[in-house]
Amino acid sequence: MAAYLNMDTLRFLLQHTHDLEQILTLPRFADHDVDSINIMLDAIKDFSDQELYPVFREMDEKPVHYADGKIITHPGLGKILRQSAELGVIGGTFDYEDGGLQLPNTVGTATYFIMDAANNNVPGYTGLTMGAAELILHFGSDDLKATYVPKMISGEWGGTMCLTEPQAGSSLSDITTTAYPQADGTYKIKGQKIFISGGDHEHCENFVHLVLARIEGAPAGTKGISLFVVPKFRPTDDGLVPNDVITAGDFQKMGQRGYCTTHLSFGEEDNSTGYLIGEPHRGLGYMFLMMNGARIGVGRGGIAIASAAYHASLQYAQERPQGRRILDNGRKDPNESPTLIIEHADVRRMLFLQKAIYEGGLSLVLQSSKYLDLSLYGPEEDREKYKMLLDILTPITKTFPAEKGREAVDNGLQILGGYGFCSDFVLQQYYRDIRIFAIYEGTTGIQSLDLLSRKITMHNGKALELLAGEMKATIEAALEQPELQKYAAALGGKIKETQEVLGSLLPFAAKGEYERFLADANIFMEYFSTLVVAWQWLQMGVTAKQLSITGAGNFTDDYLEGILHTMRFYFTYEVPKMNGLVEIMRNDEELTLLKEKAHF
Amino acid sequence: MKLLVCVSKTPETTTKITFNGDQTALDTSGVQYIMNPYDEWYALVRALELKEALGAGTVTIINVGPAANDPVIRKGLAIGADEAVRIDKDGGSSLDVAQQIAAYAKENSFDMVFFGKETIDYNGSEVGAMTAELLDVPFVSFATKLEVEGNTATITRDIEGGEETLEVATPFALSAAKGLAEQRIPNMRGIMMAKRKPLNVVAAVETTNHTQVLSYDLPAEKSAVKLVDPEDMDELVRLLSEEAKVI
Repeated sequence: MAAYLNMDTLRFLLQHTHDLEQILTLPRFADHDVDSINIMLDAIKDFSDQELYPVFREMDEKPVHYADGKIITHPGLGKILRQSAELGVIGGTFDYEDGGLQLPNTVGTATYFIMDAANNNVPGYTGLTMGAAELILHFGSDDLKATYVPKMISGEWGGTMCLTEPQAGSSLSDITTTAYPQADGTYKIKGQKIFISGGDHEHCENFVHLVLARIEGAPAGTKGISLFVVPKFRPTDDGLVPNDVITAGDFQKMGQRGYCTTHLSFGEEDNSTGYLIGEPHRGLGYMFLMMNGARIGVGRGGIAIASAAYHASLQYAQERPQGRRILDNGRKDPNESPTLIIEHADVRRMLFLQKAIYEGGLSLVLQSSKYLDLSLYGPEEDREKYKMLLDILTPITKTFPAEKGREAVDNGLQILGGYGFCSDFVLQQYYRDIRIFAIYEGTTGIQSLDLLSRKITMHNGKALELLAGEMKATIEAALEQPELQKYAAALGGKIKETQEVLGSLLPFAAKGEYERFLADANIFMEYFSTLVVAWQWLQMGVTAKQLSITGAGNFTDDYLEGILHTMRFYFTYEVPKMNGLVEIMRNDEELTLLKEKAHF
Repeated sequence: MKLLVCVSKTPETTTKITFNGDQTALDTSGVQYIMNPYDEWYALVRALELKEALGAGTVTIINVGPAANDPVIRKGLAIGADEAVRIDKDGGSSLDVAQQIAAYAKENSFDMVFFGKETIDYNGSEVGAMTAELLDVPFVSFATKLEVEGNTATITRDIEGGEETLEVATPFALSAAKGLAEQRIPNMRGIMMAKRKPLNVVAAVETTNHTQVLSYDLPAEKSAVKLVDPEDMDELVRLLSEEAKVI
């Protein structure tokens, strides 16, 4: 079977770079230890090898479709979802009293990374069910929790998040789905929701939709939005009864074609009952409290696809003979046997680029997951600090894997040449699958605005200051290793440069020129995420050096040298690109602010 | 019914095999370990199935090795074994391992003792038969089917060109081959609960070593593919005759 990830890399990052053992010292995780976690990850890998990866291509070739009012998915999906639930991937991170295992989110991220890399069509189904159950657990009434959550954790019922509407797109302040209060305290829901992932299929008995809607008469804008549980079938004393939730169609997509994306219609016959979660008008706030985790999940999915593409293209490069090496005289010997393409420098460049993006991105995803754990379960006095670190890293954790992951997959496809473009090889599927990740859970544009306009400036720049402090701690550790000093200095220089860049951008905000301030937010995202991942690579370099000295973890010398080599590659080939981005951000041409539409 | 399943720790299946300087042992640098698949997938799972079918009994797993083997043993508990025993001894020949297991089994009297048909590292296929001999019980190798009725087991085993079906009374030992059961992937709750199951460490008994490894060698590397012009049948015949020596 083809490789789609390297478990050594996951182990290196989880246990050594991000010190899983330290996370497990927190009281919440007292029942877990590293050995148990390793057994769990191996179990997920076995499951992924046996059940997920074998149907990955088939799910693409025979995509989800809509027929006779039903969503038809891959016939094996039901068995896979049942097995996923039995393994514990839906409720693993939940509290014991809610049927969970109190696993760290960092471990949850690692388990889903494995499954995403094997088959990115599937984990969304269980991941969304987990997210919806988590929202009910956090903000729902005891009755809602008892009625819905156990069936969701067992995988019998699916869960979804219903935000987007046809006329509103990403602009949630414009949603029009309405909730009409009823005398019994419930609501009648009426409206349309589109792009609802995992919204309906034949393998779950029921679906628990979490729907954003306005209570009749609620204020305009995001402050008037409430959150409701709207099941496909209402649980009653007589069993499940239809709840006037109609599946109107399935969107046919360029990628993730095994993962349904539905159009749902609520209350066409005025008989769709919704149950309010928490208090009225606070729905968006509830949803956004869970958003850091959801966005880390998107980053994880993107980087998992980049991992799978890297390993597929690496395997090809190690097996495909083509062309001849250039001799010292600048010529090629036509009588020589063709060389494997991995011997060509440009192919190696593309492989290192992929490795640098996927391993650096995975490290970032695990870093944010660790901050999530520490912000929720760390020492009381440190939680605010870790919450700020999580907040500032979240838009980057969502965006870097999506944007740079796409570039990585693109390079993987390029390695296969013409075959990369052909359906006989899997790279074209990864290329199509990863495209959505820059759009899911807030587009790159939205993440970039969030980063520059909110996260950089939040608490008077405190989050940024904390992040710089974390980076400087890594720099200090790196300075103890002569081989890493050059890279530590480079990161330090870029931190200083970032302060200068912000020094030139922030005055626009201070002057009230917000459009100018944010015009190149996307460029700033690219710049800042390159910096953040350089920090991750320096951490990985420090880890590799330490492990090569202590021998802990039992990694081969080749493996650790591979980490150091890729770190050097990232600092040599990627970090310098920040220079060009600085030049763009300092331009005074204001080309994108011109209002003349005729130029298009 | 008391069932004993013997489990070994072996290098992960994708390990690149190299040896130490004097070629007498595996170079363990960078090696990750798993439970020997024949022990886990077939022997242990079939033992668990029998216990579940009977609705009674215990499944004990046993390993001879150092504390570093505990994670592999814990996996066996996570899959469903009731308890585990580790005989605290690092290294030893097949006979030594068999003597350790036999000493424990004799003292605790089991109805069936399960082994994988071989370990995937040294492929000795020795420990099961040696243990059975030391216990003075029948041994059935390469079992692909096992049914138990009362104190009698019906076992099908692979033989050259076919199958052989036998009846054997308990107590007995067998080695499990592909087909005896299907792999069970432990769930996270089971893995967590496995920490609460007993893992008893037992002192090794005195044994005498009778064998010594002189050296290991890797198989010769496969030669490169030779492409023959489809029109040149003479060359193809020559290669098949003189080099491949198949005609």
